[in-house]
Amino acid sequence: MPHREERAVAEQDRECEVVVVGAGYSGLAAARHLARLGVDTVVLDARHRVGGRSFTEVSEAGYSIDRGGQWIGPSQDHLAALAAEMGVATFPTWTEGQGVELRDDNRHLYVGLIPTSDPEGAADGIACMLHLDLAAFDVPLDAPWDAADAATLDAQTLATYLDTHLTSASARAILEVAVKAIFGAGSAELSLLFTLFYLHAGGGLTNLARTTGGAQERRFAGGSQQLAEGMAAELGERVLLGAPVESVAYGPDHVTVSARLVPSDAAPTDPAATAATVMEVRARRAIFAMAPALCGRLVFSPPLPGNRDQLCQRMPMGAVTKVHAIYDEPFWRADGLNGQIVAPGSVLESAFDNSPDDAPHGAVVGFIAGDDCRRMETAGPAARQAAVLEELARAFGPRARTPIEVVEQHWPAEPYTRGGPVAVSAPGALTALGPALRAPVGPLHWAGTETATQWCGYLDGALSAGVRAADEVLHALKGEPVGLD
Amino acid sequence: MASTEELLEAYAEWRTRSNGNPRLTNMVRGWDRVIHFTTTDTEQGFTMRVEGQQLSDLAIGHEGQPDVVVTGSSEDFCDMFWGDLNPSEKYMSGEITLLGSQQDVMRIDAISMVAFLDS
Repeated sequence: MPHREERAVAEQDRECEVVVVGAGYSGLAAARHLARLGVDTVVLDARHRVGGRSFTEVSEAGYSIDRGGQWIGPSQDHLAALAAEMGVATFPTWTEGQGVELRDDNRHLYVGLIPTSDPEGAADGIACMLHLDLAAFDVPLDAPWDAADAATLDAQTLATYLDTHLTSASARAILEVAVKAIFGAGSAELSLLFTLFYLHAGGGLTNLARTTGGAQERRFAGGSQQLAEGMAAELGERVLLGAPVESVAYGPDHVTVSARLVPSDAAPTDPAATAATVMEVRARRAIFAMAPALCGRLVFSPPLPGNRDQLCQRMPMGAVTKVHAIYDEPFWRADGLNGQIVAPGSVLESAFDNSPDDAPHGAVVGFIAGDDCRRMETAGPAARQAAVLEELARAFGPRARTPIEVVEQHWPAEPYTRGGPVAVSAPGALTALGPALRAPVGPLHWAGTETATQWCGYLDGALSAGVRAADEVLHALKGEPVGLD
Repeated sequence: MASTEELLEAYAEWRTRSNGNPRLTNMVRGWDRVIHFTTTDTEQGFTMRVEGQQLSDLAIGHEGQPDVVVTGSSEDFCDMFWGDLNPSEKYMSGEITLLGSQQDVMRIDAISMVAFLDS
């Protein structure tokens, strides 16, 4: 807690029934649910924008770019309902034509989900994906730690499973590409139990990897952040931006959240941030709508229970850099290519056509994920961009070397996200600490896509997790028992 | 447009190959199902069963309660059974549709792709 004398402007303080920390999809969905039921709610976010991991921005050259979560697929009903309510249209991800597989020095074209240059390997990969998905459907979504063989599954990594179940080196490499794109982490970083839970929550690995009929099927015209902005507009002055929360004091039925009112998007250590006015929001309940790793950075008084803090320590963020290359037109389409790239071992292991539906220019989006992301952070932006363009030229020809613009979003360096697209779990964490993921601590409740049981890690999961946490709070405010775990 | 005889011949070939492919028989372990095929052009129904890790003959007409219904043109079914057509392409374009539970559809999708790749 800051000392009283540090606090310059006490009239900034707010009192409400529920304070929500984090104005991403999850926090806004929670706050909106509460506000609509007449509960006095305040939302704080560290940044001067809402949306969290959904971030649409006009680039220097004037192109609107989704720097974070951007896709919607079948069965993401919460997200679809929100888009419909906001009047935000969706359009299909471009899939017409063939994908490019870059492997060693070879370039192959393929149709469908899995590159087929090595048919034996592709068949091996598909069979393995099926067995993985069938195992995933046996893992209970609300309590993966209660799976029949949870201890065994959580004692190994996904890498161990893939190494055991795949005979083909090419299939192993392709599946690693898919895993890194989905989690921002390599298979050696992931508990098998956590992976199976996550696959189940999103309808299976095949579903998560697909464009048509899967998680990457459609995009939002005008970008995904609009949905967050629409929710924030409904909440109006209940949303306070530029207010990074630093500490939380709580008792059985009350919570006080202290934040600094930062005048600009200053990093937490900037003098502008450290010198900023401290404000307090006093509430009966609080919802923390952020990834566990970020929760763990707040100072709680009294300290969080050991298991909750241990969970925050053991669910690190994935690592991903989302790279856009913008061209005057999507020239690869004229060559019969759909813009998709699968390139095991390259810097940009997976890419998609990300051209707008309403403008003539072309865009390719690619992901530098897991250890590649970490390695290329050290290499620096110039080396990253050179490697990316060289690879795009291998896939699409020399014209790819001369984009109008390259835009990078390096999520691990974002002070209020610190990675992406999602928090992951290494072996041992879920079985030992999983119940702490959603279990409230006194008046403190936990939201964020990581707590979702459907579409965990996705925008849709963020929404349902927010509403679930808000419902918990509503029960608590009525004096009813709380806690699903 | 393919005749019923052509389709049955192509299927018989596909069935022999599939039942002799350990990767495929492993993928249908414990998965006994009734699958109906319906051709959109010749409007003919067929029934295939998976029992004890083996695919049955293709029966003319719809028999029993289906777990999965596969719809497409007779030509595409023939090409798929001969191994000349990547089924993924047809699922993506919607020219072949699969109707059933998510897990059953996922299984058919995977089986047909593996059969194609191993052909």
